[in-house]
Amino acid sequence: MILPGFAYARPKTVRTAIALHNGSQGQAVYLAGGTDLVPRLKYRLVNPTVVIDLKGIQTLTSIIPGRRFLKIGANVTLHDLKNHPAVRENYPALYQSLDATSCETLQMRGTIAGNVLQNTRCLFYNKPDEWRKAKGYCLKMGGPACNAVKGAKMCFANYAGDNAPALITLNAEVKLSGIDGERQMPLEAIFSGKSDLPYTIKPGEILTHILIPGGKTKGDYLKLRVRGSIDYPLVGAAVSLVNERGRVAVGAVGSKPLCFDFDASEAGWVDRIAREVSDAVRPVANTVLSPAYRKKMAGTLVKRIARKLAEENR
Amino acid sequence: MKKMTVNFMVNGESVSVEVKPYETLLETLREQLHLTGAKEACGTGACGSCTVILNSIPVRSCLVLTPEVDGMEVTTIEGLKVDGKLHPLQETFMEKGAIQCGFCTSGMILTAKALLDRQKKPSKEQIIRTVSSNTCRCTGYKKIIEAVTAASRKTERE
Amino acid sequence: MENHKIVGKGVVRSDYLAKVTGEAQFTADIKLPGMLVGKVLRSPHAHARILNIDGSRALRVPGVKAVINGFDGFGIKWGVFRYTQDHAMVPTDKVRYVGEDVAAVAAVDEETALEALDLIHVEYEPLPAVFDPVAAMAPGAPQIHDGYPGNINVHVHIDVGDVEAAFREAYIVRKDTFKAAGEAYAMMEPYAVVAHYSNGFLDLWMPNAGPHVRAKALANLLKMPLNKVRVRHIYSGGAFGGRSEVSPGDFVTALLSIKSGRPVKLVLSREENAISTRQTHDMIAAIKTGVKRDGTVLAKEFEVIYDGGAYSSTGPIAASIPYYVYEEAYRFPNVKYDGYRVYTNKGIRGMYGCHGRAFLAGNEVQLDMIAQDLGIDPVDIRMKNGLTVGEKTATKSWITSGNLAEPIGKAAEKAGWREKRGKLPRNKGIGMGCVAMMTGFPMGFRSGSSCSVKLNDDGHVTVITGIVDNGQGNESMAVQIASEVLGVPLGDINLINADTEITNLDPGAYSQAATYVGGNAVKRACDDARRQILSIASEKLQEPVESLDLRDRMVVSLQDTGKKMPISWIAREAFFRAKPITGVGSYIPKIDFDREWVSKPFGQMAGTYSFGASVAEVEVDGETGKVTMPRFVTAHDCGKAINPMAVEGQMEGSVQQAGVATLTEENLWNEGFLLNPDLLEYKVPLACDMPEIETVIVESHDPEGPFGAKEGGLTVRMNAHSAVACAVSDAVGVPFSELPLTPDRVLTMLEREKEGGTK
Repeated sequence: MILPGFAYARPKTVRTAIALHNGSQGQAVYLAGGTDLVPRLKYRLVNPTVVIDLKGIQTLTSIIPGRRFLKIGANVTLHDLKNHPAVRENYPALYQSLDATSCETLQMRGTIAGNVLQNTRCLFYNKPDEWRKAKGYCLKMGGPACNAVKGAKMCFANYAGDNAPALITLNAEVKLSGIDGERQMPLEAIFSGKSDLPYTIKPGEILTHILIPGGKTKGDYLKLRVRGSIDYPLVGAAVSLVNERGRVAVGAVGSKPLCFDFDASEAGWVDRIAREVSDAVRPVANTVLSPAYRKKMAGTLVKRIARKLAEENR
Repeated sequence: MKKMTVNFMVNGESVSVEVKPYETLLETLREQLHLTGAKEACGTGACGSCTVILNSIPVRSCLVLTPEVDGMEVTTIEGLKVDGKLHPLQETFMEKGAIQCGFCTSGMILTAKALLDRQKKPSKEQIIRTVSSNTCRCTGYKKIIEAVTAASRKTERE
Repeated sequence: MENHKIVGKGVVRSDYLAKVTGEAQFTADIKLPGMLVGKVLRSPHAHARILNIDGSRALRVPGVKAVINGFDGFGIKWGVFRYTQDHAMVPTDKVRYVGEDVAAVAAVDEETALEALDLIHVEYEPLPAVFDPVAAMAPGAPQIHDGYPGNINVHVHIDVGDVEAAFREAYIVRKDTFKAAGEAYAMMEPYAVVAHYSNGFLDLWMPNAGPHVRAKALANLLKMPLNKVRVRHIYSGGAFGGRSEVSPGDFVTALLSIKSGRPVKLVLSREENAISTRQTHDMIAAIKTGVKRDGTVLAKEFEVIYDGGAYSSTGPIAASIPYYVYEEAYRFPNVKYDGYRVYTNKGIRGMYGCHGRAFLAGNEVQLDMIAQDLGIDPVDIRMKNGLTVGEKTATKSWITSGNLAEPIGKAAEKAGWREKRGKLPRNKGIGMGCVAMMTGFPMGFRSGSSCSVKLNDDGHVTVITGIVDNGQGNESMAVQIASEVLGVPLGDINLINADTEITNLDPGAYSQAATYVGGNAVKRACDDARRQILSIASEKLQEPVESLDLRDRMVVSLQDTGKKMPISWIAREAFFRAKPITGVGSYIPKIDFDREWVSKPFGQMAGTYSFGASVAEVEVDGETGKVTMPRFVTAHDCGKAINPMAVEGQMEGSVQQAGVATLTEENLWNEGFLLNPDLLEYKVPLACDMPEIETVIVESHDPEGPFGAKEGGLTVRMNAHSAVACAVSDAVGVPFSELPLTPDRVLTMLEREKEGGTK
């Protein structure tokens, strides 16, 4: 399958990249590992005039342990991040989510920022152009209604990143660079809550760094998928715990990771948080496996992790 | 669209190609450089049949734009033979019967080569994890895992 | 008793070197001077009348050399049987599924071709469509073809004995219904065709499982003489039954080349491959079984509905095979079978190596339930009802070698069945599946194969045969047989095969014919050449023919080791005598050719039968329904393993494609749209999903097969799904009702069990 026509640029600095984007009349996209973007280009889900490759920006390639944060450059590959001692030792939820992402080869190519900023997915959307044209364009393609939930006037595509849920449970923050300068905010704030336009990031803004608060955590990530490798999550559940303060984030069941805070010193928290999660998620029939099952599993996976953490705490 | 000149190494030789900026490495290898050992089976990075090694990292060449590899080193299946001698993985894939239709074979061998290059004696679990990056429809993977294991022993001896 | 030099040894296959070096050429790798790129415009409708097709604007795009549609053909429809000829390849009346080929262009490059495709204007009148075979059979359903009331494409009716009387006599009668989603073949190589029309001759390359059958179909469709339509040899990236019949892409590419006068290459994307080449049949099987108190099966009654998609293809064969591979395994004194293949507005379908999982797994799990009610072990009830050499199947085919009991016994022993079945903890299970496969199959005069062998003046050998290889090792098998008979090393043999203008008729890699039929012809041709060599050698060495042998490129005396002569000398002597050593040999299986799938489903179906039994062990996660499979044991009677390593490979691949696939694989549909045409959402099992596999090769030495060989592992492809479905049912404690056993379905089974299951 050939790609549509576009120009290619490989800036060396964040500033040049932003300037290039700014000069494209909103017709540019950023490229990192390409594992999410290139299939989207091939399927004509995005039709840029220029692709700006961020891999030439050397300042985005390192992991720097600091006093308050572990600072991760956007271009760090999932594989390198997974094998960093700080991740292994301090952030078990993130280690597991990185390990569960796709397959080893794609972990070596995919970057952490690219993975976090992947677009939402749907069986009716991630398809070749001819397929979608024949079916009639869905809401996410500018069509009149959703094709997965027939007639619905909203989009239900799933955010299927494995690592954002884990990072959110670790209270990670992101640094963004744009035409108006830099800003820093909690990772969950980049999600708009709308499946068709999933991010609050401004045009041309680059996610340059991910910052994880330092210190040891307990936690885990469990992923529902049909095969043991390559597959995106059908439910991805992350839980992290610092002392008794805990956070759950559940991905792949809607536009963004859903967050839940809990206090692990309260009696009965394990069942309560599992029930809360299962009640809150509303999957629809837009990926493999039935939505009712996926709803149930959101609770089941969270409960599994919570049970394990409760035992470790005892 | 204006063409770009991209210079890189392929199997130890430097090449200079004129490409459309939106040409994939897989297309360049197959159409311009006549290296058809890398196969397109899915085109979307799901299967690994187009795997080549880029600066010691296995990549799906259907997901890489050729301009991205400027100044880099690419190894394809055609570059595995050294002085007419097969790579140990090529030998063990044959000896163990790890091949049927052969369409996934070059990607499978290169994925395994990148593993053996970075890890001398991988465990069986590690081999399965690595091989699980690639899809094979014919073999059931058993003989592929045996072949990678046998090749790791061979390279260890060398 | 055997004294083979190379047959029976796990030699390195003859195709391997080309495959590990990347030199093996597949269709998409072909480059010819002046070659154009073909692209196909596909139907956006599941069912619509074609009112007009206008390609004139497309033709005006610079670089476009040809635009075609169905009206460029000859109005001929293809079908395997005279009564199933319903497929025009490119339709002129109606489109019948989303993705159907409607028009095509050939241009200098892919971008130009895509640009031109957008400019072809097709006017449609959309028609109501039907996607479910049961709905398609109902009164008032849209009719997909004229002359097929209820959209019933084929009805196969088999009636043996008196089923009603037998059910009255039975101690237990059970009736259950099972469903299974259709699978994708998902060969790693997407479909591709190169066509080169020049000077009145058409050369074609495409991955195919039967070049001769393909060439004939295309010659008919193109109204050309057969000797001007040449399907040539090429490596093939898998077939699994899906590349046996002619494909719309063949016809499209041929027309483009004829019209442009240039070679044209069509390479389908993965998604196009899934949508517009063949798929397998979704299925619903109602199964009623009556047994005696001791577990003897008295009667079987079946009603099976096959979702046939838009056209007939192998119609009656597809609507029969699941039943036949079952009656070939077990003794059924009374049978009633009704198989309905029903048209729907979905993609074209074909036979599959794992065809019929709802039927086969359904039968086997029902047998387990009956055994449980009777207090009999599932292995014992299978042994008791299994056929053996000298018996006849229900529809009167002799079993000429082997039996079901031996693979059952060997698989059960290796799996530790007796220690496990009924003794495993909750959520662990073990299950067995059995079938027998017809080997060498009725395809009319195309059922047989021919081979010729020439001995070159350097003593090297050229073997010419129609045998085709889709990756299973058929080419190497032919080389190995020639090496054995002629006493020359494998490397001295050049195989010329699967090229319709050079090779003679061959059934193709279809219905387990390659070794049994094609290999037999190779052996006979080599035997013929061997006789000629020995006859000259006998004269020269002054030894009777009986005391001479061929080995290590020499004719040697078995009496006097000093007496020998290079085979190359004999070759030269033969040239002096103007009688070069040229062996010919043919074989056609001993089949009842009066037998017909619909009108006379009785008589000898095939040359012989291979028997097999598989045992799966599973663990079910009680909270998520996720199934893991730690171990899989399978025993297959291949007659004689020409190359045991290749047979193991076939068996292991089958564990993946049929066994693990039972947990993961299904085509997902939405109103005629295939939701998972890619390799991401269609779940081909990966290395990490595989069990530890143990294979047991059983050798029953078929009296007809070459060196006693039958076929290399298809029983596993047809019983692995049963083993897994039975194992999961055992683990959960209730029978499955729908395949694949994805975790959501297994969780539903677990919930059903809680409401009153048995374990």
